[in-house]
Order: sequence, then structure tokens, then C-alpha cells
Amino acid sequence: MTIKERGYTHWDGELQDGRFPWWPITRIGIKLTFKRRFFKFFFAFTLIPALVWLVGIYVSERLEDFKFMMEGETDFLNVNPLYFKTYFTNEFLLFMVVMILVFCGAGLIADDLRHNALQLYFARPLKKRDYLTGKAAVIFFFLFIVTLVPGIVFILFKLIFAGNLQFFFSYPWLILSVIAYSVLITTFFAFYTLLLSSIGKNRRYVAILIFGVYIFSDIFSAIFYEIFRSRYFYLLSIKSNLQQIGAVLFDQKTPWNIPWYYSLLVIVAICVFAAYVLKRKVRGVEIIK
Amino acid sequence: MSVEVKDLHFSYGKIQALRGIDIKLPQGAIGLLGPNGAGKSTLLRILLGFLVPDSGEGRVLGYDIRNQQTMIRRFVGYMPEDDCFIPGMDAVSFTSYMGELSGMPRQEAMKRAHEVLYYVGLEESRYRMLETYSAGMRQRLKLAQCIVHDPKLIFLDEPTSGLDPQGRKEILELIMDISSKKDIQVLISSHILPDIEQTCSYVVILNKGAMAAQGQISELKEVRYSLYEMKIKGEEKAFLDRLTKMDSQVEQTADKLLKVYLPPGTDPQEIFKIAVEEKVQVRHFVKSQTSLEDLFAKVVGVD
Repeated sequence: MTIKERGYTHWDGELQDGRFPWWPITRIGIKLTFKRRFFKFFFAFTLIPALVWLVGIYVSERLEDFKFMMEGETDFLNVNPLYFKTYFTNEFLLFMVVMILVFCGAGLIADDLRHNALQLYFARPLKKRDYLTGKAAVIFFFLFIVTLVPGIVFILFKLIFAGNLQFFFSYPWLILSVIAYSVLITTFFAFYTLLLSSIGKNRRYVAILIFGVYIFSDIFSAIFYEIFRSRYFYLLSIKSNLQQIGAVLFDQKTPWNIPWYYSLLVIVAICVFAAYVLKRKVRGVEIIK
Repeated sequence: MSVEVKDLHFSYGKIQALRGIDIKLPQGAIGLLGPNGAGKSTLLRILLGFLVPDSGEGRVLGYDIRNQQTMIRRFVGYMPEDDCFIPGMDAVSFTSYMGELSGMPRQEAMKRAHEVLYYVGLEESRYRMLETYSAGMRQRLKLAQCIVHDPKLIFLDEPTSGLDPQGRKEILELIMDISSKKDIQVLISSHILPDIEQTCSYVVILNKGAMAAQGQISELKEVRYSLYEMKIKGEEKAFLDRLTKMDSQVEQTADKLLKVYLPPGTDPQEIFKIAVEEKVQVRHFVKSQTSLEDLFAKVVGVD
């Protein structure tokens, strides 16, 4: 068919200044992540700890009914800030969070770099911060589902199962702790993932980096601790730093007996470094000087 | 004026990519011509706000290139030179996504994506994954994403690169249709002269980051010089030296054909006088119909 026959009509609508110009980026990012092979199955698997903790809350309110199953200690079923801290800082959850990042975060910027797509984004009325917000929001979406959402659901179900507001009045600050820790961990991992995703063009390589940096930071901190016997080497471990801050936010004793604000400083420093690198790496055109 | 820049300078580190560019582009299809490394893509990237010029000023559709890049990008479409797409998407989702990012409502963007994909000839394969597209299909897709938001001006960076003759013909046909009948201004950057000659009426020629010539193609071809083709027998060197001394430019093709570009006002009889003086026989002499290629060779210089 010739061009003349096809025709072209002008669009009679008006281009809008959207309040959230980053939203299409987030929506597509989430959609593309769900299209990845095995992701749905894997993501459902990451919700298992939340389900277990939720069952624990139910059982804690029906201890008499479940007495036949319990032998010995039932202290771990006391729903209190420690219960929440244990959920949020347990190694399995943090590991699963990193695995989610491998699926949803590795290609966020790396794929755009590999396929020269950044210039397509920046040829639109988008600012750098819109692009990065859109990409970071993909990580926020998935990580909030395994952190913030279960935390709030735990509190709600505790109140529902108890049938009174005593729990809320005993720990009125707990919901703020849940929000603060979820936001902290998600923000940190968003910076961490976007940083690593922006330094490579191959999503597999980036996936290995996301996983490797997290695991090896922990391994090296343990090795250095064994050699030098200084607890400060735990500051090298991403996991340990997050556990330290988590303990403080849930009003618990810090696990490594080092000032918690050192851990916060390390986390903030990584975020600042990531922001600096992203500012330089994410641009419409690659400049080779 | 859709595009206007004054004394534009830009460097990549120590390499000066643009040196004092002054352009005022009228309506219609405009060719940005120059050899590789002339600064064409750099100029387009500055106009879009990807790069900030070292000095100089400019406006695109009346918006300042330094402070109003967002407004420029809203009303300008850009077809990059590089192969670019977003993996994991089909053409409809991709084009509609680009429309949304330009500020179109989601449903409108989807409707419009179908229309432009139909227009560029991708209607049959619009639901195929982009990874499976051929080079020609990707060029069409880039054109589709460039016009999805119905821009007033489009920048096409090497639109026919990597295409087979048929694909090239079809893309050029689309560009001509857009520029001549759809009230969309087109700025095409290319080093392929026939493409520019076929699609544009106005041309800007860049060479080594500087402006070599600009104007209506027809005027540039007529006013600036006269081109004569000739074949000679005898001592060439002295003859050619004499021609060069009278400010004409001489180019020799592989089959020993001489192309002589005479400056305006020079009598072609002078060539014969020199031939007589240098004892050279003129075996063939004809006033040539100047092409853009000749103009290009004249202003850029032929090695």
C-alpha cells in the first residue's frame, strides 16, 4: 500500500503537563518485570515469611486452642516490637529482597543503556529526576509489598484477632517504625540497585553484581572480624548495617554493639555516592571525551 | 523561524565539535549535510537540550535551547541515528509508551500508536516483539515513535542508515509525505547527498564543526559557482595549477574526468586560454548540471 493511501492525520488533543510524568515508566517497569520467566512464582515465594508471621499473630491470640501443638517455649509468639524487628531484619527476608532486586532492578537502567533507549526518554519532556523516580518507583513497588504492606497488615490483624486496641495503645509508635524502616530499606536498595544497573550494559552482569556485592560485603566483614577481632568491620556488611538500624527503629538492642549511627552513616554514604554516579551516568547522550 | 542559532560553540573535551554556527531555518524540509564528524548529530543534540553549548544561543520553535528544553521536547520529535528500543515490548506498547511520555493521555496514546504504526507500514507486525524486528522495521518504528505525539518539528538523524534500497526508498517516501503534506517541519541530518536532494529544499552544510554553506538548494547550486566537465590530453599539472590560481576548484574522477568549479563571473573562455598557453588539448568540454553532490564537494573540499 502506498503512503498516500495510508494517510496521516493530526492528533487533535492537547499534550498535558502530567503531575506524575514518571508514572508510565513505573507502570511499564512493573509490567515488564511480571513478564519475566519464573518471577510470579518467585515473588509469591518471597511472601512466605509474611504468611508465617501472620499465622504466628493468629496463633498468639489462640494459644489455648493450639496448646496441643506447642511444646515448651511460646515466647517467640509474643507479638511485640521484637516480633516485628525479627520479621524485618531476618536474613531470609533480606536475602529474598536482594533476589527481587535481581529480577526487577538489574535491567532497569542497564537495558536502556544497552539498547540506547535513554535518548528516547530524554527526547521527551522528561527530566532526569522523572526518569530516575520512575525507575526507583518500580523497586519501591516490589519492596513495599514485602516490607511495608506486611508490617501494616500485621498490626491490623493483631488488632482484629485481639478484638481490642490494647496492642495499639501499648506500642503507638510501632506503625511509624514499620513505615520508617520500610522506607529506609527500600530507599537504600533503590539507590543500590540503580547505581549498579547504571554501571553495566548487561543485565546478567548487573544481576551478579547486585547479588555479589550484598553477599561478599557480608563475607568480607566476617573474615575481617575474625582476623582483627574488631566489631567495626561489621560496618562493611550491608546486611549488618540494615540490621543495626532496624534494631534501633524497633527499640531493640543493636546486634553488633557498635554505635547505630555509624551504620546509618554508611547507608547514607552509599546513597549519596549512588546519586552522584546516577547524575553523571544517566543522560540523553553518552559523551566520550 | 523554527530553528535559529547564533554563534554556537561546543567541545567534547579538547575536540571542538562546533565552531561559531549561525543558522536560521525557514519552514519546510531542511537538510543538515556534512561528512562524518562534521558536527551534525552534535548540533541536533544541542537543539534538543541533550548537550549544553559552551557559548552562543539558540531557539527552537521560539523556545530557548538553554532554559526551555522541556518545552522544545514536547513539540519536537526525534529519530535517533542509533538502533534504539526497549526490550520486552511490542511495537504498539512501545509507541504508545513514547506517546504517554510526551504527555498524551494513555488511551489516546494507544489509539494514536495504532494509527502511526499503520502509517509507517508496520500494521502487520505491530504485536511482534521488538527484538525480532529487522533493521528496516526498526527504522520505521523509530519514525513512528518520533511522530506519535504529532510534533510540529521533527529531527531525523541519518534516517536511512543501514537500509536496503527498497527500505531507503520507502523511508524517504514517508519523510517527503510528512514534510510536504502534513504541515510538520523536518530537519534531516545525513551524509547521503541523494537523500537530502530528494527530500529537502533547503540545506545547511557543516564541515569540521563550522558552517560551510546554507540556503535553498536551487540557489546554492546556481549562484555560487558554475560547473564544467572536461577531458584533456597533455601536461595536466601546470594546467591544473593555473586553474586553481584563478580561484576555481578542480576535482578529478577515477575515469580522468575533470570537474571544474568556476567562481561567479568568470568567463569559461579563460579555461581555453589557459589550455592554449599550457599546450593542453581539450578533448571534451560541457557545462554540467550541478547536483548537491557537486555543491557538497565544492564547499567541503574533496581529498
